[in-house]
Amino acid sequence: MIKLENIHKYYDHQHVLKGINLSVNKGEVVSILGPSGSGKSTLLRCINFLEDPSSGTVEISGKKVDVESASKTDILSLRTSTGMVFQQYNLFKNLTVLQNVMIGLTSVKQLNPVDAKKESIDILERVGLQDRLNHYPAQLSGGQQQRVGIARALALKPEVLLFDEPTSSLDPELVDEVLAVIKNVASEGNTMLIVTHELNFAREISDRVVFMESGIILEEGTAEQIFTNPRIERTKKFLSKAIR
Amino acid sequence: MDNLLDISFLIESFPIIVARLPITVGIAVGSMILSLFIGLATALIKIYQVPVLKTISSFYVSFIRGTPLLVQIYLVFYGIPKVIYYLQTEYGWLLNIDVNIIAPEIYALLAFSINLGAYLSETIRSAIESVDRGQFEAAKAIGMSPTQMMLKIIFPQALAVAIPNLGNMFISTIKDTSLVFIIGVIDIMGQAKILGSRGLAFFEVYIAVSIVYWILCIIVERLLVKIEKRARRYERGVA
Repeated sequence: MIKLENIHKYYDHQHVLKGINLSVNKGEVVSILGPSGSGKSTLLRCINFLEDPSSGTVEISGKKVDVESASKTDILSLRTSTGMVFQQYNLFKNLTVLQNVMIGLTSVKQLNPVDAKKESIDILERVGLQDRLNHYPAQLSGGQQQRVGIARALALKPEVLLFDEPTSSLDPELVDEVLAVIKNVASEGNTMLIVTHELNFAREISDRVVFMESGIILEEGTAEQIFTNPRIERTKKFLSKAIR
Repeated sequence: MDNLLDISFLIESFPIIVARLPITVGIAVGSMILSLFIGLATALIKIYQVPVLKTISSFYVSFIRGTPLLVQIYLVFYGIPKVIYYLQTEYGWLLNIDVNIIAPEIYALLAFSINLGAYLSETIRSAIESVDRGQFEAAKAIGMSPTQMMLKIIFPQALAVAIPNLGNMFISTIKDTSLVFIIGVIDIMGQAKILGSRGLAFFEVYIAVSIVYWILCIIVERLLVKIEKRARRYERGVA
């Protein structure tokens, strides 16, 4: 489904991704864990070219892109086949909840407004926000905003959903409502790649877990294996608060 | 004994001055609209660091900000006909234009647009750059083209930020249009001068014309408050 091969990323002289290989199968939920600055968000953002990867290949649904020679069309195709949920929600502030979800359908997929509206309302029902359609983002709580963010990503029916620390900016009491929605999205068979600090959540939701540090993948395995029996001491130490 | 003011002359001059209001408003509104395009183009050139064009546009902005508006009006008024005439005689270009019949209002509109465009350039650039980076990223991530991103997401938000500044500049422009009399445009100021010299009652007509400017600016300020409220409606945190 999605396959990253030998991804490198440099910021000037800083080498932040050092040859990442990672693949996610269709319907699989993979979490990327690791300390801050390990490069996990950068990795996610390299998949849809919000950061330009320095070298390597990105393959989604059989379409392989060499990042060094990626054309505008290649980048657009990577962006439309992925849906991203941001740490800071990044809802379009000048648009209502409904418009935020619709805009991708009308302007990117060229769907007519009537169908786009119907589809968007359906999706917003799935995240429990059907009664907030005409609110602006500033009128919503962080948890509600992030649920709109998830709805917006779902609307384009992407091959892969990318979650970049989706609960890290939320007040603690709002985290659960967002995690519940993500869990629900996972149970619908979506392919998902999640960068998170919610260790218990990652353990519960993931088919596989990847542990990253300093721009390399130190260890990967099933959620159960990584959390109960990590091979590497560093992983064990990092996960200790969750394993307890 | 002479009165301080010839009140009846003052009152009679009002309707004659107000009749010229369309010229004043036309130049102000017209140049505001044209200069928004100039300002937007130069702002985007600077943001995207377009080679060659960015040098030209920063030269333009620097020149306009460094010279008086009065001089710029003269430069346009005397320069453009000369340039057109030169192109006609030397290259046979622009032959369908008769430089002798171009209305001075057109030069005034051009001069004000060129002047205001340079000032708007910085306002618009900083407004666009004030939009949160996340808004750009979210638009890119769902696959919007740069044009869609700008038109649907970035410009509306930048506009809301820029409106107070744009409004102030518009009000300044309304008042600056009083300079156009020097190239023969009869705006409200021009009309006041004519009336004043006709009746030898300059104090009266300048009182009249200042009241007209004042009322015009008050109306515009009220409108701007409404426009700003509408442009920023999405920022209010309460439903």
